[in-house]
Amino acid sequence: MGEVFANYDVFGAFFMTIRLAVLSAIGSLLLGTVLAVFRMSPVGLVRGIGAAYVNVVRNTPLTLITVFTMLGAHSNLGIRVADPASPTSVVDTAFRWGVIALTVYHAAFVCEALRSGVNTVPVGQAEAARSIGLTFAQNLRHVILPQAFRGAIVPLGNTLIALTKNTTVVAVIGVAEIAYLTAEVMENDPGLIVWLFLVVALGFVVLTLPVGLATTHFGRKLAVAR
Amino acid sequence: MSAPVQLFDAPGPRGRAQQRVAAVVLALLAAVVLAAILWKLGERGNLTAAKWAPLVSPVVWRSYIVPGLINTLYAAAISIVLAGVLGLLLGVGRLSQLAPVRWVCATFVEFFRAVPVLVMMLLSFWGYLALDAVPGAYLPLAGTVTGLTLYNACVIAELIRSGVHGLPKGQAEAGLSVGLTPGQTLRSIQLPQALTAMLPALVGQLVVILKDTALGYQITYAELLRQGERIGSAYGNIVLALIVVAVLFIVLNYSLTSLAQWIEQRLSRRGRVAGGAQAADPTLGVDADPVAAGPAPGPGAGPGRG
Amino acid sequence: MTGMDSSAAAPSDPREPRGADPRTDPAGTGDPAPGAQGTPAHPHRSGRPGEPLVVLEGVQKHFGDLHVLRDIDLTVGAGEVVVVIGPSGSGKSTLCRAINRLETIESGTITVDGRPLPAEGKALAALRADVGMVFQSFNLFAHKTILDNVTLGPIKVRGVGKTEARERAMALLDRVGVAHQASKYPAQLSGGQQQRVAIARSLAMDPKVMLFDEPTSALDPEMINEVLDVMTSLADSGMTMIVVTHEMGFARRAADRVVFMADGQIVEQAAPEEFFTHPRSERARDFLGKILTH
Repeated sequence: MGEVFANYDVFGAFFMTIRLAVLSAIGSLLLGTVLAVFRMSPVGLVRGIGAAYVNVVRNTPLTLITVFTMLGAHSNLGIRVADPASPTSVVDTAFRWGVIALTVYHAAFVCEALRSGVNTVPVGQAEAARSIGLTFAQNLRHVILPQAFRGAIVPLGNTLIALTKNTTVVAVIGVAEIAYLTAEVMENDPGLIVWLFLVVALGFVVLTLPVGLATTHFGRKLAVAR
Repeated sequence: MSAPVQLFDAPGPRGRAQQRVAAVVLALLAAVVLAAILWKLGERGNLTAAKWAPLVSPVVWRSYIVPGLINTLYAAAISIVLAGVLGLLLGVGRLSQLAPVRWVCATFVEFFRAVPVLVMMLLSFWGYLALDAVPGAYLPLAGTVTGLTLYNACVIAELIRSGVHGLPKGQAEAGLSVGLTPGQTLRSIQLPQALTAMLPALVGQLVVILKDTALGYQITYAELLRQGERIGSAYGNIVLALIVVAVLFIVLNYSLTSLAQWIEQRLSRRGRVAGGAQAADPTLGVDADPVAAGPAPGPGAGPGRG
Repeated sequence: MTGMDSSAAAPSDPREPRGADPRTDPAGTGDPAPGAQGTPAHPHRSGRPGEPLVVLEGVQKHFGDLHVLRDIDLTVGAGEVVVVIGPSGSGKSTLCRAINRLETIESGTITVDGRPLPAEGKALAALRADVGMVFQSFNLFAHKTILDNVTLGPIKVRGVGKTEARERAMALLDRVGVAHQASKYPAQLSGGQQQRVAIARSLAMDPKVMLFDEPTSALDPEMINEVLDVMTSLADSGMTMIVVTHEMGFARRAADRVVFMADGQIVEQAAPEEFFTHPRSERARDFLGKILTH
């Protein structure tokens, strides 16, 4: 195992994975919340746009979206996300498109996680809140959202775990994270395969297990008893 | 379970007017965005007949798209069969009476579920190459299938385990009380019901596998996405080629998702399952999606790779 | 009938003495009737007794092809207790829910305390604050304690201070007999207790009128009476109430008037004694024949 760490920048690769995961988790939480609001809107057209986004993105491979950002948006359409004159332009371009691809893809799943949280709230809760004279905003703030959030913890946690592992996909546009490192090690030292497997597996267990345990714990602890 | 919450009160005249304004504004905004996309595509010369024509020509379909589609479906089909078999073994192993069997299966599942599918593909691809274990032409396929099989077997094992645990206790007790051994009870009473209950989730997993075949792109497997990219290099129309590939993926996956929903509705109408599927997730009926669907198989479920 | 034998908290026949006088004392100095101990000495703000408080005129509503409310005219006076009965699907719940606009209507007018029902926004919220609603399925806020369920409305809607809201809430919880459960969550209470908390939650808003939408239908038989007792004492205290229920015992004991609905129409209305002994319409005779023979 020492050889893997001695000859390759394992920690650097994992740090890149974490950076990708954190930024795209924030991005997809924001975009996914907007989409969830769209999908629950009273206006048919707005709901339709939200549903169309979710159904298109959820059924498209992440690899395709990632390849599209680089070959389509960057090369063909000439959309720039980093200053071409900057010395780190190449690395920045790949990293930023990677975050964008991960955000666009996982926002659809965040949206559905949030919506399933809202769906755990029975309709009577909102009616009771209206009946004591709470306004729409008060109803959301004091009655619906606190319950919906608790119902969304576990699906959101599952989405975060999947996102963390999915950061590997952006190796396809040359972001130097774990999958990129795996290909590099295997090309040069195929004999390290077992060690490499263990390092990667343990690394991802360390990254995802706490998320899983925490969401299960809080999902249960905060669950609304009905 | 009562109906899920309606966020909005029934609108009055002012509310309806606001909604109409919102709809118009959003429609305009959508039109502007669409126009901007088309303009950008046109500006870069993507909308000329020369770029479109190859994508509707029989030659391109015969030599690129159809083979890509076949390879995608081929890898997905092999993987689902192998993952099904391995998953069943692992799932039954985790329910075994023998503690060592349970531990081995649990360790296997936890490890292989933690490793991203792409990493597993890369490891097996290069591993097979180093060991010279697979003929060169089959390396990409072998790598793709190995990665998909190992990961999805773990997911299926978890589905089976939670499916059996989700059955009412009375089912196993009834089996034991008529004199079946625990093994017989598992095989002839619990597993068939658990599998039926998990059927929608299993079909949902097919969508994940189909999408994840696109990961084979990174080990040069000539699946749909790779073939699309080849069209793009050959005819200089990468954007359009990728759009066509995306549409094919969406149609395939959407059909599978609809199939899963249809199966689920049929199952719940017939009431074939003792407490399984319906009890698992009351909001499932709204929209069967990988995130909310079924008893969460824990880490790794939900948005598939790909 | 499970409700029949519930001896009300009130003495003798509680309905008789309730004509026009002591129970609805506009000055608020009168005795607030049994069961109301612990409430501050202000009465329910029900306007002057006998004046129309809730008025429905020509109300129509469809659910798809089903005509659930056909040309409904109904006037409920301040301090009056009106019990709405009828076969299931007769539109009685829809009628009840239309009064605080949980259901919209297609035509006709509904006024509460002289003001037409607002269609939306703050005005609607303000009206709903004045109209208490008790649901069949209780609908206590599942993530809040019993006490917080009762104080939420007063604090957020009425702007009452926290301490005051708590004191008032505890008094109301005491009145409905669940004060010792104040720090628990709804799921920890029995159905009957939850429904009594729901009544306290509505009362905390000082409503002008209270709507009850089949308040005992989801309860186990042994819990029905504890809820009916609270409702009876509420009726005795002068609250204006519109009650959709199947509890004929409660109707006989506490109602000033029984409204019988069938197929979306008000078929007949009369004082309870008269209605139960001499129903005028065929539909009502048929309905009573079915439920009273059990």
